[in-house]
Amino acid sequence: MNEDKFPGHKILPYILIAPSLIVIFVFLIIPFAQSIRESFYTSTAFGTHSIFVGLRNYVRLFASQEYRSSVVTTFKFSAFVIIIGLAISLGIAQLLNQKIKGVGFYQIALIWTYAISPTVAGVIWASMFAPATGLIPYIVSKISGYSLNWMTNGDLALFIVAAAATWKMLGYNIVFFLAGLQNVPDEFLEAAQIDGAGSWKAFWRITFPLLSPTTSFLLFVNMLYAFFQVFGLIDIMTRGGPGNATELLIYKLYRDGFIHLNSGSASAQSFIIFFVISIVAIFQLRIATRKSIYSR
Amino acid sequence: MNSKKSYLIILLLTLCLFFSAGNAMAEPVNITFWHAMSGSRLGVLESIVDGFNEANPDYEVVPLFTGSYSETLTKYVAAYPSKTGPNIVQSYEVGTQTMIDSGAITPVYEIPGMLGETWDWAQYVIPITNYYSVEGNLWSMPFNSSTAMLYYNKDIFEEAGLDPNKPPTTWKEMEEYGEEILASGVVNHVYSTGWPDWIFEQALAIHNHLYADNDNGRSGLATKVVFDDDFGNMIFDTWTRLHDKGIYVFGGSEYAPNTAFNSGQIAMLIQSTSSLAGIINAADFKVGTSFYPRFEGYPVGNSVIGGGSLWVTKGQSEEELRGVWEFFKYLSREDVAIQWHKGTGYFPVSLGALKTLLDEGWFSQDQAYLTAFLQILSGRRDTAAATGVRLGPFVAMREDFVSSLEKALAGQLSPEDALNEAAEKMNLKLRDYLELHGQ
Repeated sequence: MNEDKFPGHKILPYILIAPSLIVIFVFLIIPFAQSIRESFYTSTAFGTHSIFVGLRNYVRLFASQEYRSSVVTTFKFSAFVIIIGLAISLGIAQLLNQKIKGVGFYQIALIWTYAISPTVAGVIWASMFAPATGLIPYIVSKISGYSLNWMTNGDLALFIVAAAATWKMLGYNIVFFLAGLQNVPDEFLEAAQIDGAGSWKAFWRITFPLLSPTTSFLLFVNMLYAFFQVFGLIDIMTRGGPGNATELLIYKLYRDGFIHLNSGSASAQSFIIFFVISIVAIFQLRIATRKSIYSR
Repeated sequence: MNSKKSYLIILLLTLCLFFSAGNAMAEPVNITFWHAMSGSRLGVLESIVDGFNEANPDYEVVPLFTGSYSETLTKYVAAYPSKTGPNIVQSYEVGTQTMIDSGAITPVYEIPGMLGETWDWAQYVIPITNYYSVEGNLWSMPFNSSTAMLYYNKDIFEEAGLDPNKPPTTWKEMEEYGEEILASGVVNHVYSTGWPDWIFEQALAIHNHLYADNDNGRSGLATKVVFDDDFGNMIFDTWTRLHDKGIYVFGGSEYAPNTAFNSGQIAMLIQSTSSLAGIINAADFKVGTSFYPRFEGYPVGNSVIGGGSLWVTKGQSEEELRGVWEFFKYLSREDVAIQWHKGTGYFPVSLGALKTLLDEGWFSQDQAYLTAFLQILSGRRDTAAATGVRLGPFVAMREDFVSSLEKALAGQLSPEDALNEAAEKMNLKLRDYLELHGQ
């Protein structure tokens, strides 16, 4: 610490940052270190007895076909939530940015989904698709005679869960895109119009680049969402089934750690997820900061 | 501050202290009780606890709903190192071996002795206490015990031109009836099951077939599962075939398929007896119940006990332990056991309650409540296969089973490959458990 900056206050700055540091240590650093340690052990359910097993927890994970398919599922799921979700949100935000009658109502109606808790969203989607009693399988079977059962059809289940997760995040994305769109100066668009650019071209050449800070922020938030925050939805809707078809990494970690009480494997998984997400995050932030246009 | 005022304050404080001390003396001993009873079961449980608290002013049982069975177990495990757990915790039957091996439990058979009392354990329904006993000693208090049986919708049977008093007895009949009902067009699917993992365990036990070695893990820790043979394959084949024909609709885990049955979307349901009261209340059709369907020509076993039991945390004060014991004795009281049975459909665990119910004509009023009883009391109870399975990593193993069944039903794997996959994954878990707990 540079003493000249805070003359006469040698200890005070440390005291002031201490609360945050303590919180970081107690709730992040120490548990993190503990889980790295635990990932080298196998323990009884009640933690009364542990055996050091070296890298076995990791080796087993990488050797397990189930875990590898869970990685693939997670990436498929995230890609859907991020790409489709952001594209739809941007489209809707663009529509909501028009000067039409009753736009306030539409805005609230579409942002609404973010205010719904994952549990409620999960229950809504699960009952809509319930095999014997749901509305959508009923309509599908009336129209095509095909009986839709997402409890035995893995691809369908993954699609429905991803759609529900995307739907749930729409409101959040729309809010940010709408704010970004309202910051795009009208003069730019007018100038483009005068120069003869169509609205499609104007969007891609002017609006979209000017939105890039918002887009890259949303990319990052949606990635974290798809990786970590869809847990509630999965637990309510499919519990990772059918046949592990919707078992995302974070959900598998939960089942292994908290339901099967296998803390060693769960710790190893949490370290792997941490590693993967850090790399993706670094990569994404680098590209985003290089490509984004923050000043105009 | 003037002295008068400060005297007054001291006086007041002393009075406060005095009164609070007085209160503390009359304060009942708190017995915390974590349970997993939701839905219609919750109300019945709470009224039983209230009844106990009124009758026993020295103790206050404080029930706390801690989520599903597995969530409750997770919370209990998390609370164990800090000694902040409850006095009593409810665990499901699959958690039995985990609880026994935990070192966190005082077995109930030791409690009367610790308090200088004696207790006759034979007053409980034997197949139930058998399940929770190790070498003949009862480890947890039987509380909400159930088994699986067949529910069917008599109205749909009639509409489809079947005799409503002749439910299917065998899986062959399940298939034949299923085809007839489908052909009649009354419903799109014929049957579903709750707890598919447990329904499979029932299928083995009811034909006296072991699930795992070392007597289903009852004579020693199991080292491998043994259901991946011809018999297991036949069950898997049958279920997959019925599913492919549209007779069986996979409705998810636990109690999820009850909705389909209650709303008349399916004609039959294989489910825990604990759903009986709920189903009778919810259904606007005539509900029939019968025994779990059999495979013809295979040996007779028994349907096994499921549900939950109450475990007592080790290291309690004598006062608390006495409270726990008083509560357990209260639960065994005839009227209380009857209240629990009538409110939920779970077995009344004491023989006295059973006789009273019989005498007052309860079973002839509604025969549905008798079905499960006749089923477990008429089966054999001298073999491990018919007594039930006890495995350390059972919770995780059941999930392996369900995910394999789902793969077979979806056509992703052949029934045989699916069963082998399940067995392989389960065996690895058993080996890991042995490594940690092995003798």
